[in-house]
Amino acid sequence: MQISPTRTEKTLPKTSTIIHRIREFTLIGRDPVLFMSLLLSGIFIFVFIVFPLYRSVSGGFISKEGAFDVTYFARYFDDYFGPGLRKAFYDTMLMGLLTATTGTLVGFIFAYAVVRCNIPGKKYIHWLALVPTVSPPFALALSMILLFGRNGLITKKIFGITFIQGMNDVYGLDGLVIVQTITFFSVSYLILRAMLERLNPAIEEAASSLGAGRFHLFRTITLPLLTPGIAASFLLLFVESLADLGNPLFLSGNRTVLSAQIFLAVIGEYNYQKASALSFVLMIPTLVIFLVQRYYVNRRTYISVTGKPAGSIILEKDPIIRWFFNILTYAMIGFILLLYLTIVYGSFSTAWGVDFTPTLRHWEMTLTRGVEAILDTTFLSALATPFAAILGMIIAWLVVRKNFTGKSVLDFTSNLGGAVPGTILGIGFVMAFNKPPLALAIVIYAAMALFFASVVGKTRWEKIIILVVGTATGVALNQVYEPYMYYILGGFYLVVAIYMMITQKVFRKPLVLAVLGIYVMSTNWSVMISKPIADFSRSLERGFWSNAIFQASDHIKVLVQPTPALLAIALVFAGVLLLQNLSRKISRIGIGILTLAVPCALSFVGVPFAMVGGAYIIMGAFIVRSVPASVRSGVAALQQIDPSIEEASNMLGADSQYTFRKVTLPLILPALFAGLVFSFTRHMTSVSAIIFLISAKWRIVTASILSEWEQGGVSIAAAYSTVIIIFVLIAIFVLNLFVNKLFKGRGSVDMSQGF
Amino acid sequence: MYLTLENITKIFPARGGVGEVTAVYNVNLDIEKGELITLLGPSGCGKTTTLRMIAGFEFPTEGQIVLDGNEINMLPPHRRDMSMVFQSYAIFPHLDVFENIAYGLNVQRLPKAVIQERVNRVLDLVQLQGYGDRAPTQLSGGQQQRVALARALIMEPKVLLMDEPLSNLDAKLREEMRFEIRRIQKELNITSVYVTHDQIEAMTLSDRIVVMNNGIIEQVGTPVEMYRFPNSRFVANFIGRANFVHGITQKQSGQNLVVKVFDEVIELLNIQRDFREHESVNLIIRPEMIRINKTGELFSGIIRRGVYLGDVIEYDVEVNGQLLTCVESDPYVMELFPNGEQVTVGFAEGCIQVLPEEENN
Repeated sequence: MQISPTRTEKTLPKTSTIIHRIREFTLIGRDPVLFMSLLLSGIFIFVFIVFPLYRSVSGGFISKEGAFDVTYFARYFDDYFGPGLRKAFYDTMLMGLLTATTGTLVGFIFAYAVVRCNIPGKKYIHWLALVPTVSPPFALALSMILLFGRNGLITKKIFGITFIQGMNDVYGLDGLVIVQTITFFSVSYLILRAMLERLNPAIEEAASSLGAGRFHLFRTITLPLLTPGIAASFLLLFVESLADLGNPLFLSGNRTVLSAQIFLAVIGEYNYQKASALSFVLMIPTLVIFLVQRYYVNRRTYISVTGKPAGSIILEKDPIIRWFFNILTYAMIGFILLLYLTIVYGSFSTAWGVDFTPTLRHWEMTLTRGVEAILDTTFLSALATPFAAILGMIIAWLVVRKNFTGKSVLDFTSNLGGAVPGTILGIGFVMAFNKPPLALAIVIYAAMALFFASVVGKTRWEKIIILVVGTATGVALNQVYEPYMYYILGGFYLVVAIYMMITQKVFRKPLVLAVLGIYVMSTNWSVMISKPIADFSRSLERGFWSNAIFQASDHIKVLVQPTPALLAIALVFAGVLLLQNLSRKISRIGIGILTLAVPCALSFVGVPFAMVGGAYIIMGAFIVRSVPASVRSGVAALQQIDPSIEEASNMLGADSQYTFRKVTLPLILPALFAGLVFSFTRHMTSVSAIIFLISAKWRIVTASILSEWEQGGVSIAAAYSTVIIIFVLIAIFVLNLFVNKLFKGRGSVDMSQGF
Repeated sequence: MYLTLENITKIFPARGGVGEVTAVYNVNLDIEKGELITLLGPSGCGKTTTLRMIAGFEFPTEGQIVLDGNEINMLPPHRRDMSMVFQSYAIFPHLDVFENIAYGLNVQRLPKAVIQERVNRVLDLVQLQGYGDRAPTQLSGGQQQRVALARALIMEPKVLLMDEPLSNLDAKLREEMRFEIRRIQKELNITSVYVTHDQIEAMTLSDRIVVMNNGIIEQVGTPVEMYRFPNSRFVANFIGRANFVHGITQKQSGQNLVVKVFDEVIELLNIQRDFREHESVNLIIRPEMIRINKTGELFSGIIRRGVYLGDVIEYDVEVNGQLLTCVESDPYVMELFPNGEQVTVGFAEGCIQVLPEEENN
């Protein structure tokens, strides 16, 4: 019989928190794949979210000469600029409040009708309510103008109103709020619908069995239980409204709001300091609400939104109330349909407001002159989509499953990029990647190189040799004439690949290395590949095909000629995956040096991270905007998977890489697909974040809509909008079809998670 | 010793980030090869944390875990040669029964034929012949449990860990699986650590039981030792039921101890500890150690509650102002004493154990 320690000796040893944190990181460090995903997410967030936002915020305080300067903030308080600026601020807040209120109300009506009122055609109403989230932001403003503008179909043609000075027209805050309400109410609908569905009917039944009448019950039970959802929806809509750029540009009339002011500061005055200062003013309310939402409202939820829906649902029994909600819902659905049909019809009408006869002229123009923008947008959106979705899954996995210091920072910052108004991010991107400091490249290279050396090297000396010699070789190669450099760097990989094939008799990994080597070299051949295609396109008669083929040559260049600093990041991580656990000491050091020299040389080509005007900066902005949705859908999926399933795989001898591939990924595949759909949609329809990033070479449809509209090409703008809507719907349809085929009976994509 | 825990302490940062929580404190445990040891305790006692440290999901803040002569403190779970049966079974929902069981062998890249052969053998062992191509959703709870067990057994692990594996089964199935697990464990002579909060499960299965409370080990011993000779009030209460009665020691000679209880003097036999004279002590009197008769016993009492439960009759009887719970298991007795009845009460002096008063926690 063993006698236990007596309980009197219960003085506990105090380990300091710092030691605890260091232990955590050594534990993560033991698993290279885990550490790699952490580092990769960290680098992405730092480069594309934290750094640009820092530049955007600090930019308002720094004059062109580089001195500390608060001119543009002081203007809020002087007598000359002050009244106008304050009015714009006031109008912005008013717009936000009104849109949040009406949007939440409309969302509630839709949710109540769908969940409680058994509205006929529930499924179609659900999908129609989501259409505004997948259409380009200008679309509804455009059709509002087409219908109710000064030359509007309804105002002019049907009612024969002639607008004179002083008459209230669609322009101004009222029209703006109506359009924003329709644009953003889907969010509110989704939140409130989920809450209503998950409301336990027993609670309301209990109240009514205690004698509560209908309105008493609604006031004392239903409404309080929905309050967190209503608050969440209100805050989200407020932020969305403030961040919205597209609708105010079209509709604000003689009023002005902050997002439009920022846009004009950049596009009209090319004054980034002013734009930054205004961004700062816009950022404060947005950020405050983001924080309130995250740390206050979400914690007060009585009903878990991620949980399973309650078994049964109470239906509204009173036919008057039921039909009141149903008819309101049908009316709004009708209005939404009318707006979208107007866009489509607008793209076919000869001259809107004057001559409504159908014509294909605008479509011809759109598909010849506009094909560049359409193809560029689709290409960049599609190319960025897998990166966004996979990064989202990785971050979700880290956040849900792993424990490390700084997890909440990762979670917070990854969301931040989607939460701040796009204009702020866009300005930040321009300021950050126009002439980025060398320090940025150095910090990132240093982090990656340390990690690389510590994984590939076994002893302390090996690690130091790989780090120092590899970096030195890389820096030396960086001085070589560029085309030669790419050949040498690619050659390194080929050498390593051949050496590994001979000594280790393995083929898969060396093959991948060889492909990487050729890919690095292919930078030199991009012109060789793309020039014939471009020449061929010029030989064709000018029109759709010649433009389309010409664009393809550009797209190939993007594929084979990535920003070197970004390529370097990819190569380091590929190296870690391929080269961990090399057996022989000599090969470890040799291969380590060669494969570190390549990313080192690439990290410092030209001005590292100077990406303004290129394709990669646009993709970066796309990904920053869409990652939060992927993260959310990944988090929701992971939270429903019992963590012991992954632990079981570990116990059976699988490391975290094998586990992720064979267990986690197959289980979250529906969420990954949902992430793909959200990301693509978000990319295709984004305006505010990328409007400052477009260039002569890289045009984006949403920006083209704006410029066409400014030049009076209303019908072409409508045609562009139609194209985007169609492309997005096709993407959603195809992916849904695919997912339904793939996961028959194992859950389908829950589209509502992403918005 | 095959598996040894030496001075294991685990401290977690507290939820919310401020402060620390000591989940396991200074645990020492030696486990022999082929032995089944149960970690038993209420929720939050540190038993699961201890198991997860053995598995490698948590790393001890202090102390050492030694397996077969090698220290394995920081070894990740997939290199420990152990396998685990989870409370939720953790069956891979996207794989069928065969693929689930073969998972670990696939990780090792064994040849197909070998995998096939070994999976079939283990399917026989858990009596699931012919279920290989079923999806996990087509299985009952008990069958899923067997799959989880088979998946762990096929690895021929050095140590088999089980984290409340039966808690999701209904009572009857649970009883069946207890014997099943014990049978297989004996048959394969597999070293096992079993976590449970169910004392009956622990009693049925274990070679030895480890009772934990508040992060420390209260007592280790065979089921008989744990029931007959509890070391603390906590153990006495956690394994079986007990009345605690205050007494004053009079005289001890060897294992015989004379105690003054309720103003009467009785002599207890088989006492495991040494006591001074006139020491304040607690007697652990289990319900079945109390006799109630109309006349003839040493103490007098009043019946306060009597319940006929079928197999036994349970009484609360008041002796000297203290309520004692006792059971009458004589199958011939069918008449209950009515409430308020004056009775006499006697104790089984050879079975009662005594704890010093200061361990009164």
